[in-house]
Amino acid sequence: MAIAEQKLTSVSPATASSGSFPWRTWLATVDHKKIGIIYIVSAFVFFLLGGIEAMLMRVQLGTPNNTFLSADVYNQLFTMHATTMIFLMVMPMNVGIGNYVVPLMIGARDMAFPRLNALSIWLFLGGGLLLYLSFLTGGAPNGGWFAYAPLTQVQYSPTAGMDYWILGLGLTGIASIAGALNFIVTVLNMRAPGMSINRMPLFVWMNLVVSFIIIFAFPTFTVGSIQLLFDRQFGAAFFNPAQGGDAVLWQHLFWFFGHPEVYILILPVMGMISEILPVFSRKPIFGYSFVAFSGVGIGFLGFIVWAHHMFGVGMGPMANAFFAAASMVIAIPTGVKIFNWIATMWAGDVRLTTAMLYAIGFISMFIIGGISGITLASPPIDLQQTDTYYVVAHLHYVLFGGSILGLFAGAFYWFPKMTGRLLNERIGKIQFWLMMISFNITFFPMHIVGTEGMPRRIYTYEAGMGWDMWNLIETIGTFLLAFSVLIFIYNVLSSLRNGEVASNDPWDAATLEWTMPSPPPSYNFLHIPVVNSRRPLWDAKYPHAAGDDHHGPSSAPSQVRYEYTDEETEGAKDIHMPSLTFSPMIFSGGLTVASLGFIYINKDILGLPTRVAALGFILIGIVMVSIAIRGWILDSRKDSPYLSQHH
Amino acid sequence: MSATSHAHDEAGQAPLVGSLGVDSRKLGLWAFIGSETLFFTALITTHLIFYARTKADLAAKGMLEHMDPKLYLGIDLTTILAAILLASSLTMVLALAATKSKEWPKFRFWLLATIVLGSAFVLGQVYEFTHLYHEGLKLAPQYVYEGETVKSLFGVTFFVMTGFHGLHVTLGVVWLIAVYFKVRRFAASPENPMDVELVGLYWHFVDLVWVAIFTLVYLI
Amino acid sequence: MAEHATHDQHAEAHESHSTRFYWMIGAILAVITAVEVAIFLVKDTIGHELFLAILFILSIAKGAGVVMYFMHLRGDARIFQLVFIVPFLLAVTLCLGFLTIFSHHVGIAG
Repeated sequence: MAIAEQKLTSVSPATASSGSFPWRTWLATVDHKKIGIIYIVSAFVFFLLGGIEAMLMRVQLGTPNNTFLSADVYNQLFTMHATTMIFLMVMPMNVGIGNYVVPLMIGARDMAFPRLNALSIWLFLGGGLLLYLSFLTGGAPNGGWFAYAPLTQVQYSPTAGMDYWILGLGLTGIASIAGALNFIVTVLNMRAPGMSINRMPLFVWMNLVVSFIIIFAFPTFTVGSIQLLFDRQFGAAFFNPAQGGDAVLWQHLFWFFGHPEVYILILPVMGMISEILPVFSRKPIFGYSFVAFSGVGIGFLGFIVWAHHMFGVGMGPMANAFFAAASMVIAIPTGVKIFNWIATMWAGDVRLTTAMLYAIGFISMFIIGGISGITLASPPIDLQQTDTYYVVAHLHYVLFGGSILGLFAGAFYWFPKMTGRLLNERIGKIQFWLMMISFNITFFPMHIVGTEGMPRRIYTYEAGMGWDMWNLIETIGTFLLAFSVLIFIYNVLSSLRNGEVASNDPWDAATLEWTMPSPPPSYNFLHIPVVNSRRPLWDAKYPHAAGDDHHGPSSAPSQVRYEYTDEETEGAKDIHMPSLTFSPMIFSGGLTVASLGFIYINKDILGLPTRVAALGFILIGIVMVSIAIRGWILDSRKDSPYLSQHH
Repeated sequence: MSATSHAHDEAGQAPLVGSLGVDSRKLGLWAFIGSETLFFTALITTHLIFYARTKADLAAKGMLEHMDPKLYLGIDLTTILAAILLASSLTMVLALAATKSKEWPKFRFWLLATIVLGSAFVLGQVYEFTHLYHEGLKLAPQYVYEGETVKSLFGVTFFVMTGFHGLHVTLGVVWLIAVYFKVRRFAASPENPMDVELVGLYWHFVDLVWVAIFTLVYLI
Repeated sequence: MAEHATHDQHAEAHESHSTRFYWMIGAILAVITAVEVAIFLVKDTIGHELFLAILFILSIAKGAGVVMYFMHLRGDARIFQLVFIVPFLLAVTLCLGFLTIFSHHVGIAG
């Protein structure tokens, strides 16, 4: 690929004013791209932590009757592994990539609410740090990420771990809702002229659907965890059957959120796949509307299937039949997507780049996870398999084989846009194959031990149950998997330094983010583009193949390095971007400190001094939040587009 | 709040209008109200589930009269509170109408009236809570009614649900006060009508939740 | 959702009402509340089912009045109706679904 070597000179009005403190431009940033990168990096750190927890558990389970971990530590690790991977890894990683890419894809200069966006990232980090602080303060949460009552009641889970879980996830939950509102308004209301809803890239579509799922699903989880907090702190007994509460109510409230959560994890990744497959097949996506609307369909159906997680509870036959049927119906829109992806590749000019390999890996592994999911939707089969390793195999095939392989595809695809350098393809392909093989070594045997009856959530097992060999193989697979992640880290670090310099459009892609320098300047577009089709960049490059109904390019890409000239970047100084502000960070810091105080407000540790300290933390938190709100209002007036019209 | 909508600016007239032709903050607030709808639904549903259970228990013991909210919660005070909140919705919409016709003295009067009524509601609820607490209804899975201990989650679900509604009203009052001072300080700001409209939407939603709670908790 | 893509700058055109109109709506809502309390006080004479039916109709009318006229949802941009009515329907589903499941009717939920 012909690459211009000239370094890009992009002047950003926001960073230019920051003087000699480059860290300020990150900590006080409201730029969606920087916020996206903070999300991505911190989610990756949590990915490593969650992975270490998984490896410790696999060492414990590698041999029967192992004493490497105690039962209590094991419980903490499996709770934190799932909580980390779901709330601190896949969700924020999706949000991070979405934050970076969505405004670029729709031709916007930033998210609709840049300061709210900054609030989301710092609240997410505050919540994640609060969760991990629990390891140092007497024990991490140990009731499972599903937190089934009454195990989470204070008499069965006496450490403060579950309180950390409730408040930590409460903070990340506020971050998620704020972020989702931001995405909804951005996608609906910040599109460039001509970027109508039915021309939006499918990744944008899926982010819109997921944002609606988030704002509709999280409230029940919030209510459930508030009630759990009242149980633990004030003896309310919502979920304590011994005192008239109802343990099953927790499960309903949790899974009414928990099942849509599964789609929150997978749909953005499906959106990424829907961007990557057409580019590397040199064909437009097959059945755009079907892919888009099957995503909407999955979103709706996701709200009426929650109790299929609860067939083991013993609901009535009518309830079981309804939730089984509804769950099986979800296979239809999911299958529509899979067939559309395959049809996109069919007869395409397929280029097997690492991103493409990961996308194909996503499809193949997700099909396995999807099929085991359909078996679990049937109550008689589910009653046999529930709480066995078969379920663990299923959920890892959809969450690791699905979400995480898809995220790697996205990482290889957008890394050049975010950093200006390409990841090493050769190392990437080696890593892909190692990861695919070790993933299957780790998780496929779980189907077998699961059907042989090995229960999940146990910290050890007897020898001679027929599970020994498979468990050892799984543990070996985990180490290979960890090694493949290390290769990825090496690839990122070496490519950041010495990687091939990326042109604006290294993949010959079709969407707007590839029209800009890599990485784009803080204001993104010098001129807001006008969009005429679903594939604006392909149309520009291949005018003879333009139009929604024609096939995309088949000739070799013309490698043009689009650059903003000095003259143009000079003109960019007139683009008004919101100023740096610490208010969002102070706000979320205040909420985090107050949450920490709230955990200990009614705990009998060290008596009165603890409560005084807890109260002090809450007061400090409130003061910080008040300061932040004042600063926020002043900032919003300073940057108000109403006022900039009249300066 | 938006940084990028300059392309759509039209000389101070609804400058935040975006690609859907609507104001970004208003769209965000409506979506937030949608989310809050599910939040309160989950709280109310929890209350109804445990209420039905307590009622069945008491009926089996021949103590059904304990569940008559007329005796139990006192309908008089609640009716007054409902009327106060309803009146505050009216004053709120009148304040918004005054903003749109730029009648600022009228606007200040109606917004202050809304703040006073909202505060009255919060104080009324504080009074109600302390009253019920002294009557024996506690944040505990049992309560004492006329010397008799009844095992029920009624107090728990009631206080948590109405407490969170009260918290929303309180935050609404704070928001109203902030808007009052902001408009007084920057009377000429073209942002004012939207600032008032946004706090109004939130305020009416809080009223709407009380319409549901009044029916489902106090009257049934 | 495709119909919302139209770049209609006038989608937000409000129905503007006179102050008198708002007073009238307020008065109607007050009357509804009074009727609600009144039938509550005489509910033993009219029977439980009739009481519930009237109460629900009145409450829905009251809520609809607040949403349509005080919140101006009637005549406002369709996207606002969408982002409120969809979660509202979802909320009704949640409530009825949970009440059904926890009703413990033999054969349905227990």
